[in-house]
Amino acid sequence: MKPSIEKLAEKGFLFSALFSVSITILIFFFMVFFSFPLFKGGDIAKFFTLEWNPYESGFGIVPMMAGTGIIALLALLIATPFGIGCSALISVFSTGYFGRFLRKVVEFMTGIPTVIYGFVAIFLLVPFIREIFEKGTGMCVLSASIMLALLILPTIILFISNAFNAVPKNYLDAADSLGATPAQKLVYIIIPLAWKGIISALVLAAGRAVGDTLISLMIAGNALQIPKGLSDAARTLTAHIALIIASDYESPEFKSIFVCGLILFIFTTLIILALRLLGYLKILRNR
Amino acid sequence: MKKIKIRINNLNCFYKKKPVLKDLKGEMEEKAITTIIGPSGVGKTTLLMAINRLYESIPDCRVEGKVEIKLNTKYIDIHKLPVTDLRKKVGMVFQVPNPLPMSIFKNIAFPLKLSGIKDKEYIKEKVEQALKDAFLWDEVNDRLNDSALELSGGQQQRLCIARAMIMQPEVLLLDEPTSSLDMEAALKITELLKNLKGKCTLLVVSHYTSLTKEISDNVLTLKDGCLKITENSKIVDESSVAN
Repeated sequence: MKPSIEKLAEKGFLFSALFSVSITILIFFFMVFFSFPLFKGGDIAKFFTLEWNPYESGFGIVPMMAGTGIIALLALLIATPFGIGCSALISVFSTGYFGRFLRKVVEFMTGIPTVIYGFVAIFLLVPFIREIFEKGTGMCVLSASIMLALLILPTIILFISNAFNAVPKNYLDAADSLGATPAQKLVYIIIPLAWKGIISALVLAAGRAVGDTLISLMIAGNALQIPKGLSDAARTLTAHIALIIASDYESPEFKSIFVCGLILFIFTTLIILALRLLGYLKILRNR
Repeated sequence: MKKIKIRINNLNCFYKKKPVLKDLKGEMEEKAITTIIGPSGVGKTTLLMAINRLYESIPDCRVEGKVEIKLNTKYIDIHKLPVTDLRKKVGMVFQVPNPLPMSIFKNIAFPLKLSGIKDKEYIKEKVEQALKDAFLWDEVNDRLNDSALELSGGQQQRLCIARAMIMQPEVLLLDEPTSSLDMEAALKITELLKNLKGKCTLLVVSHYTSLTKEISDNVLTLKDGCLKITENSKIVDESSVAN
């Protein structure tokens, strides 16, 4: 390639990267800008209360924060072992036709609209959960978490599977030649070497779990309370924003959704940082 | 009379549908160094991979025929042994050294870990002995916790030999063990292989006449799908061996 074209391409890529980063930063400042008037006069504390009653100046969003955290965390806890297991099946244990078929199915799953998952949950999962707990409507933390886990599972599987496939072949040959079983290869060689990829998969999945609106809106129950058990209904920040956004543009509750957005932004960033830190600590330990 | 360790009968190997080895027959002497020479691409590496079934991890590679290994006076078909057990009895060292991305100590101890051995004192003793046997102890004993990837190419290859030898395999397969190394490192590997003679059966693929002449008890030429015995004195220059 000619040097001039190479420089042009380099500048093009730099521009794209800077543009993406700038958009993220701009969104953050956009949220801060619109949230700022609500924080004025030291009123920030009113958002960190339990009561949401905008007609009596109750703007507490702690139940929504708790709902978001609990549902997303539970979804990640359910999806991660299945994700690692399924990736291991595709990339280590069954690399033939079945593995390839399974990967195609997972790729297909990424294209299914979220609302379809919601419908399936309402007609199949929610009644099932209702019967198990024998109380409530079945629209609860557990239903939302299971469905959200299913939703983020393809992302986790594809990313982890790609990370497993990227482990250099000479390491696998070395393990094979020493008589390692596929399970030993997975535990001693592949997972430690694919750790960064696993963390990236979890970061993306966590972002999707926290940010998803439709599943929680359709099947979490949307109750304004801190859930005390798996069968309790809950409302997430995203579902809360979706429910409030239809209200009057000038109303205080409409304005409060910018604070929700800002908190959601910070929440996601903290989860990503925590997962990155976990990955960094693991790498340090492996040295 | 020579004791035979490995017997090969009507061995065929295919990559996809292309035959690489055709009706191969041959025998390898016990506790001796047998070197396999032959033109490039004739299937020398494939032959080694057929002996410890490493070909099974290559997609679309298929092997037919019989390879038998003598274990406790009886010849056993390698396909009747569990593959992990076979590979513990038939170790392999590759052309390019492939230490694992972990410390020198952990690399050598890795086969013991795979076998479920947990006695720390025993592992320590075995690692030290394996490194001494590979002439590596003096060079690394003060940095056993350093990454094995920081070693030189020659040291990495000796580490791989030590790692393969720690489980005391009955057969050690070496695929051009000196070809990626400089002269000095290659000489150390040559000495090491000579030192291993008598401890286990060594099967070496080599392109180098000097190495072949110096270490081999038996030389087999693989050409046109046949293994033929070649006398050491009849091995000619590098080019005719390589091509």
